[in-house]
Amino acid sequence: MDFARYPDQRAAVRNPKPPVPVKILIAGGFGVGKTTTVGAISDFEPLTTEAEMTEAGIGIDDPGARSEKHTTTVAMDFGCLTIDETLKLYLFGTPGQARFSFIWDDLARGALGAVVVVDSGRLDDCYPAVDYFEHAKLPFIVAVNAFDGRLAHDLAEVRWALAVNEQVPVVRFDARDRISVRDTLIVLLQQALERVGARQ
Amino acid sequence: MGADEYYGGAPRPGQAARLPPYLQPRPYGGGHHVAGSSSGGRVPAGPAPPSPAATPFPTGPRPFVVTRGRVGDDVSDISLETQVTTNWEAETGYGVWVTLGPESRAIVAMCGTSVSVAEISARLGLHLGVTKVLVSDLHAAGRVFVHTEDVSTPFSTEIILRVMHGLRAIS
Repeated sequence: MDFARYPDQRAAVRNPKPPVPVKILIAGGFGVGKTTTVGAISDFEPLTTEAEMTEAGIGIDDPGARSEKHTTTVAMDFGCLTIDETLKLYLFGTPGQARFSFIWDDLARGALGAVVVVDSGRLDDCYPAVDYFEHAKLPFIVAVNAFDGRLAHDLAEVRWALAVNEQVPVVRFDARDRISVRDTLIVLLQQALERVGARQ
Repeated sequence: MGADEYYGGAPRPGQAARLPPYLQPRPYGGGHHVAGSSSGGRVPAGPAPPSPAATPFPTGPRPFVVTRGRVGDDVSDISLETQVTTNWEAETGYGVWVTLGPESRAIVAMCGTSVSVAEISARLGLHLGVTKVLVSDLHAAGRVFVHTEDVSTPFSTEIILRVMHGLRAIS
């Protein structure tokens, strides 16, 4: 490095402090509307990042057999909302399958909380996500994506079926609507706030 | 003279060993002007560069070594949202620039505006694991800053309120 050419004050100007990133997870089963949710509020069209996971196959216990390794690619759609020049909110869609715990841990670490998107016609799909967040003690809410303005079950039934703690908000929203998604995120943040308050 | 002196100083002890082969300086990067002849050369004036036989660096195509499953200490604290910024103070000679592979160059160029590791991965079409390794290597080479320590968890009331406030401002 040529310190003569780059005095300290120029360094401060040329390498400014970047905005702080925070993230919220958008979880739920396949096809429930996670990417739509992200896209409704993101500054840019949702991008996709892929992670490669290596899974050891069967045959580990048998000393004679070669254990087979399979690689799977897990895709995650995400977006970003710039709050201001010092703060950016990332929204990461989680993979539908629960078995990639490696990825889930990476996603959940340092997250503000999660929105578990539910399709009221297919409640089963979101059980793994709900289990994971309860276990990880990450603030989360359940948000029922109302297609065409209708719900297959009403919210009380969804709550009962998912057996979530009564403190967990179960709300209804429209994944395509920016304001609806915004309000859903605010409900989640209120949960996060209460969690912080309870700790103090 | 050795290639170390030619490049204006040897790497600190142990540092060259940490840099993967494709990031170590090479004696014949493309576009280098030969020192000692023209006054417009980009490299510091001095004796002619060492002959290929004398250099300790490998010649020929450099292997792109990214081991699948390599998760060292240097990448484990990089998250998807971790911000990466270009180090504008890094040496910008063309000869040094071309020692970076095309993916690494693209990353350095992208980080002029602060971007997340996930964005780098998505926009360049690289797997997340590969991206983390490349970013970590670029950090070791002093080309980018990797801002892993910005947010402390558990979160403060202040930061949650700032996000809420920012969301409420959306119409």
